[in-house]
Amino acid sequence: MVLRTAVAPRFSSRGLWPRLMVAPLIIGLTIFAVYPLIYLVFLSASKSALGRTFQAWVGLGNYRTALEDTVFTQALVRSVVFAVPVTAIEVLAGVGIAVLLSNTRRGGNVFRTLILLPLMTPPIMVATSWKLIFHPTGGLLNGVLQSLGLTDRPISFLGSSRWAFPAIAVADFWQWTPFVILLAYASLQTLPSEVQEAALVDGASGVRAFVSVTLPLLGPALAAIFLLRVILAFKVFDLVYSLTFGGPGFDTNIGTFQIFRMAFRQFDVGYAAAQTIVFGLLVGVVTLPIVIARNAMIRHWT
Amino acid sequence: MMDSREARSSAAITGSSAVPARALPSVAEHSATAQTRAVRALWIAGRWLLLALVIGFFLLPIAFLASTSLKTKDDVLSGNFLPATIFWQNWPDAFRSIELLLFMRNSVIAAGLSALLTLLIAVPATYAMVRFGAGGKHLYTFVLASYTAPPVVALVPLFFLLRRLNLIDSLIGLALVYGLANVPVAVWLLDSFIRQLPQAIEEAAWVDGAGIAGTLVRIVTPLIAPGIVATGIICLILSYNEFLFAVTLTYRPETQTLPVGIALFQGDRLVNFGQMAAASLTGMAPVYIVALFFQRWLIRGLTTGAVK
Repeated sequence: MVLRTAVAPRFSSRGLWPRLMVAPLIIGLTIFAVYPLIYLVFLSASKSALGRTFQAWVGLGNYRTALEDTVFTQALVRSVVFAVPVTAIEVLAGVGIAVLLSNTRRGGNVFRTLILLPLMTPPIMVATSWKLIFHPTGGLLNGVLQSLGLTDRPISFLGSSRWAFPAIAVADFWQWTPFVILLAYASLQTLPSEVQEAALVDGASGVRAFVSVTLPLLGPALAAIFLLRVILAFKVFDLVYSLTFGGPGFDTNIGTFQIFRMAFRQFDVGYAAAQTIVFGLLVGVVTLPIVIARNAMIRHWT
Repeated sequence: MMDSREARSSAAITGSSAVPARALPSVAEHSATAQTRAVRALWIAGRWLLLALVIGFFLLPIAFLASTSLKTKDDVLSGNFLPATIFWQNWPDAFRSIELLLFMRNSVIAAGLSALLTLLIAVPATYAMVRFGAGGKHLYTFVLASYTAPPVVALVPLFFLLRRLNLIDSLIGLALVYGLANVPVAVWLLDSFIRQLPQAIEEAAWVDGAGIAGTLVRIVTPLIAPGIVATGIICLILSYNEFLFAVTLTYRPETQTLPVGIALFQGDRLVNFGQMAAASLTGMAPVYIVALFFQRWLIRGLTTGAVK
């Protein structure tokens, strides 16, 4: 007790060392978060090309153009339409598989190791693999469909307005559902075992017990997983770049890809900056309710 | 809450009645247990079948990539899963038509340097924030909040910053960007490892006269070594796999990373799928080896953060 009071004051932020230790972090954040934001605001108010920035001040002109530009606004809609449902499907499937896995005594470790592979695969190689499966000539999916007699002509999945977006979603599902499985499985392990036993006695009553017992306990963790996945889903770029390059037409042109194209293909960085800020705000608007819902859940259940 | 109590008591009942029923089965009970046993066996079989399907789905693209890497140019067009004949030539040819080793070297350099930078920033900072509340409550929130923004937000400003610093199209510049980009992930992962340490150990070190920095280096770092290794590997893989910054901040083969090299190879109109598959698998191999070798640490690292 004497020891504690003698030492305790040193667990405070006032010393020199703690400040020195966070200094590099603050510098890093300034470079990677604060500076880009300030720079973007100025850039967005200017007529700027990649080769020659700040040619003239245009005020809110770039924002006005952005909101009237259907290519951009549709890209925003597509980002949301991609991120939210894909996340919902991945969380549902991931939790289902995790529950299945937590009821299996043997093979769990092997399963978890194998399932780590999609998650670790570089997204560009994920795209390569799925491109081979979806390809109209020699693609596995067309091969299977044709040998089953379901189609007589090969379908160009990545080249069709109807299938290109779902195809990207499938590749994303393949890569990220394992992440949800691992997190949901770990969350299930943290539940008291008696509750789990009670909740998962056997088949029929197990389902009901799962819904009424396990799921509420898992609520805050699931909300956290959902939040993390939505945030990551808004970052998707590689799959679009490699699978469809935004096409056919603009059918898979999502926010990140639109900004990239505007800045590094059309070189209009002033306009790209305005698009970036609008896109950033949109991501905030979509994720904030999930943060609030998660906090409410934690308050409600604990 | 009512439901949970119900479920728990019903579990207690089935649990306690199952033993005597098996020891001394009456006719009625016997058929009941036989029935539940059949249901249970069906349930278990169904579960295994489902898990097998799940595993099949998650391994299928990798398996098809491997199979394609062994197909001839004509065989690739067949749409069959397996190659008609094994054609090894794609592998050496892939190394000849794309500078795989150069791209991999670049990826490893950028990833290695960046992981080092991330840890050098994140380990002391997380320790100071968790134990001493350094930077106040808002710094920690700000670090995590910065991760919610898509990286594309920082892309254009960082492009101009690197150009001004003469670090555009250089591995050092790329490593710098990755190193900073991964800091929030590292802070988030390290946080739970540091919190799990009993404070008494550090207090004892101070009583022995070790300063705060000495305690971090000599006491805390060795104790959270598994967490630091897991964090480092996750940052390595994130950088190795990264594409958006790599494709916009580098231009020459001398600085391009593997994902960029593969993406450019893919964009080639006369792309040879067999060679592309072989090249992709070669690039994936290092990550897979690391993933299999460190799987326990990786899974723990990935999940401890989320299950706080």
